[in-house]
Amino acid sequence: MGRFLLGRLALAVFVVFVVTLLVAWAVRLSGDPSVMLAEGSGAITAKDLENIRAALGLNRPFSEQYAGFLVGMLTGDMGNSFMGGRAVSGMVRQALPLTLMLAALSLAASLLVSIPLGIRAAVHRGGAADQAIRILSLFGLSFPNFWLAIMLVLVFSITLGWLPPAGADGPSSLVMPVLTMATILSATNVRLVRTSMLETLSAQYIMVARSKGLTETVVLYKHALRNCAIPLITYIGLQFGGLIGGVVVIERVFNWPGMGSLAFDAVASRDYPVLQAVVTVLATMIVLVNLAIDVLYGFVDPRVRAE
Amino acid sequence: MRLRLIAASALAVALGAPLPEAKAAGTLTIAQAQDPNNWDPIITFLLSWGAVGSNIYDGLVMRDEQLNLKPGLATSWEVLDQGMRLRFKLREGVTFHNGEPFNAEAVKFTMERLLGPEGAKGPQQSNYTSIGAVEIIDPYSVDIVLKRPDPVMITKLAGYGAMIVPPKYVTEKGSQGFGAAPVGTGPFKVTGYENKVHITLEPSGHYWGGKPKLDKVIYKFIVEPATQVAELQSGRVDIASQVPIGMIGAITATANLQLLSTTGPTVTVARFNTANGATKDERVRKAIVMAVDREAIVKQILQGHAKPVTSFQSTLSFGFDPAQKPIPFDPAAARKLIAEAKLPPGTTVSVDFASNNTVFREVAQAIAGYLTAVGLKPQARPFEMNLFTNDIIPNGKTGEMFAMGWGGWTFDYDNTAYLMYHSGERWNPYDKDPALDAMLEGQRTIADRGERQKALQKIANYVAEHALELPLYNLDTYYGVNKRVKGLVVPPDNRFRLIDVSVD
Amino acid sequence: MNRLRSLEFILGAGLSGGMALAVLLSDWMFAGGADAMDLAMRLTLPFQSLAHPLGTDPLGRDVLARVILGGQVSLTVGLLSVAGAAVAGTFAGLIAGYYRGPWDLVLMRWADVQLALPFILVAITFAAILGTDMWKLIAFMAISQWVQYARVVRSATIVLREREFVLSAHAVGVRNHAIIWRHILPNAIAPVLVLMTLNVANNILLESSLTFLGLGIDPLIPSWGGMLSDGRTYLQTAWWVSFFPGLAIMLTVLGLNLLGDWLRDAVDPTTRSQR
Repeated sequence: MGRFLLGRLALAVFVVFVVTLLVAWAVRLSGDPSVMLAEGSGAITAKDLENIRAALGLNRPFSEQYAGFLVGMLTGDMGNSFMGGRAVSGMVRQALPLTLMLAALSLAASLLVSIPLGIRAAVHRGGAADQAIRILSLFGLSFPNFWLAIMLVLVFSITLGWLPPAGADGPSSLVMPVLTMATILSATNVRLVRTSMLETLSAQYIMVARSKGLTETVVLYKHALRNCAIPLITYIGLQFGGLIGGVVVIERVFNWPGMGSLAFDAVASRDYPVLQAVVTVLATMIVLVNLAIDVLYGFVDPRVRAE
Repeated sequence: MRLRLIAASALAVALGAPLPEAKAAGTLTIAQAQDPNNWDPIITFLLSWGAVGSNIYDGLVMRDEQLNLKPGLATSWEVLDQGMRLRFKLREGVTFHNGEPFNAEAVKFTMERLLGPEGAKGPQQSNYTSIGAVEIIDPYSVDIVLKRPDPVMITKLAGYGAMIVPPKYVTEKGSQGFGAAPVGTGPFKVTGYENKVHITLEPSGHYWGGKPKLDKVIYKFIVEPATQVAELQSGRVDIASQVPIGMIGAITATANLQLLSTTGPTVTVARFNTANGATKDERVRKAIVMAVDREAIVKQILQGHAKPVTSFQSTLSFGFDPAQKPIPFDPAAARKLIAEAKLPPGTTVSVDFASNNTVFREVAQAIAGYLTAVGLKPQARPFEMNLFTNDIIPNGKTGEMFAMGWGGWTFDYDNTAYLMYHSGERWNPYDKDPALDAMLEGQRTIADRGERQKALQKIANYVAEHALELPLYNLDTYYGVNKRVKGLVVPPDNRFRLIDVSVD
Repeated sequence: MNRLRSLEFILGAGLSGGMALAVLLSDWMFAGGADAMDLAMRLTLPFQSLAHPLGTDPLGRDVLARVILGGQVSLTVGLLSVAGAAVAGTFAGLIAGYYRGPWDLVLMRWADVQLALPFILVAITFAAILGTDMWKLIAFMAISQWVQYARVVRSATIVLREREFVLSAHAVGVRNHAIIWRHILPNAIAPVLVLMTLNVANNILLESSLTFLGLGIDPLIPSWGGMLSDGRTYLQTAWWVSFFPGLAIMLTVLGLNLLGDWLRDAVDPTTRSQR
């Protein structure tokens, strides 16, 4: 088990390393921020650009810039933003919790809805409830998230005036972003719960549990749910990356000052240090989630460990 | 432990003290697209900096809402040594928000910082390189000595880079610290700033130009224009600075909202690729200019919030020629010219633009519609903004047409024409015309205003004659405003002047 | 039960087939194209005239023609990107899961790297480098999604290759590629089909999200996502500009998903046998 854990950990480190390398390389392909900084100042001379490049450290070779970035990430110093010179670590510390909160609440809200619905659909397979839930989930899958967000704003902010359409001031501003994300997530999660529940319900031990005369609720929520928890968690872990991606769009519609907004601004202005930091932090989190799932699997299923 | 700290701070932000509602008496809330991240005047060029910074800082000279120069921290000035020396008499008894006195020393410090190594890190310096030295005559008189003639220097002193900063405070805090907690002599001082969320201003208490009527100004940073309008409609901001043209109707239909507009600084044209493709042929270029109905685009798509132009400048620009007649909309003549050019069948004309320009996204489709009508095969290609301005245009990778908006805050045609048409300039990847180069260089040496104006007008006519661009429109600066805001004059340069503004 | 199933099939096939048919015939139905612009007729209300049954957009173009022609791009993007990703991913997953060893290691480690990158951020960055058009969009979606198929197929393959019927086929000397083709693939394909139905729909939506973020394709070429995204600022004053492309997306996605569900039951021996 120890060897297995160590192997997985090494793998995670390797993945994060490759991601940082890819990111550092890709952002530098995307254009030079010095021109961007100098723009609007009228005539830009080659010397102006040279000055700005030197001030940003962009005249050093790539290997040197990359090494500096890597060392910085390890020591927690993520450098300074090209746009305004703020410490990137501070920007990330401000944005990350907001994004995680949004993601976590959306996931929680979605599970709260999709587990009971998914189980109901599986139990009454083919029945009216199953069909209704399935159609409902299909509708959830059939419009883009930004569209749903705009609709919610139209109804709850502009027409009814109940909820703030943007920003992060107070719990009320969480409602619509979470609702949007949770709706989209639930559409898939209901289907996942239903599918894995169907498989579990046909298993022997469920029959046994039922034959022992346990109540249906206990059978479903204790025995069956526990056994389909692992595939569920795996899928949710796989979703995590997509979840973060969805947050980028949602954050923009609702002007939520999280990692997505930070990254979006950083791409537009070619703010390498910010973009590198944001992608690395997010990628690390995704890798950690996957690592946790792998380890969980390792505990449950010896075949995985044998790899 | 650390995790708990992070969670706690997230909760604090999300659940903590909500911002005061926009409706609060005496508080004005403005939605602004961008946070410049740093309020130091020398490292920015963003209009969103000017919207806020103009209320924190003053220049020696300033511009009013009509963009006329007026005294700022200098009460008067004179031009000496044939324009090579500018002498300023400074306002006495002015202090910075932190109590530091304003005097000639501060002017010298500001200018030397701008022109020194610190200024070199930012984009503002290059506007002021004609300044040779700053000489203190007495504590309230200062000379700016030029190393080469610069007829627009006085105007430039109203620009961002020349905003006067407090020497002691800046030296103590360094650029970072100063940029995060700015101090100036302006009517408002900064009382709160959360990066990318909001910045809050309150009256400084002892402004030389009078007492503001507002108790508080909050600028909220909201990127997405539609979101700004939603905030405006739900009463959480009083001014939306970015309004998508599709939402103008929604604003005018709401009883407590209005749309305020004024002539803006930016002129939009579709420039031609004169080196390659169908537009290499002057006849095709002329045909395209005739094929597109600018009046209809302005009236129908832009809802009248723009004025058609005849050259790459607005009516406010120095060098504008009122006698220059627009080429009339004439699809039949355009068809004839295209037939004459004998283009190979299936020749496409691509209209390229920056993808964040949502206004032009619609205009490009309209242009395409007009081109189809005269028998051309149009394409519209959005490019990511940075890629477009840093690679596609300067490296000459555009299609047949590419959209550009330009508007120097100096409102001098030279600022546009030289950069757009002179050979070898960054924004001119295609044309090499010695005659045009000579005209562009020539006007720079003319000291007489009237003569120089004539020379600039001649350039504008020359450009139109050779159809180097499809002139389009001068877009208005327009804001969605809650009617409770009183006394707001829409600033064409986006620099809000809030001293006389009040809210009900 | 069976009636419901066939209803699902009829509805699914009807919706997606009808949409596909309309799209296929669109060039013939709207020979004039969707570009005919008439600024004087801009934002005409729907259901008012036969010339523009679904009204016109802000440029005075016919919404009906654009919705039907828009399906060409949206369906092409959705189908081709998914087909590319599914074929590549299934192949990689089979190889990795069956042979294990270094192939498995390299493919799966690369998959890990890709899964660790937040898709939208990568999309934005690459759009910034390369620009966007329809083919780049398709390639990009395929490249970023093959991993999903590879993972699913690989884990199914790992389980399947230990099953008796595979082991016995091995024992009687059936060749590896024949085993993969005949025994493993048919049994591992069900989750791939499920993923595909989800992803065709997903990618149609993704195209619109990317347009919303300013990374879409040529706005002259009508696409559902582009119309939905461009029409969003007119929602309060001219709902029909974005409602009808939205409806088209919804019906198509619904149809595809119904069809997919039916297909899953049809090919999946385990669920079939239980019925």
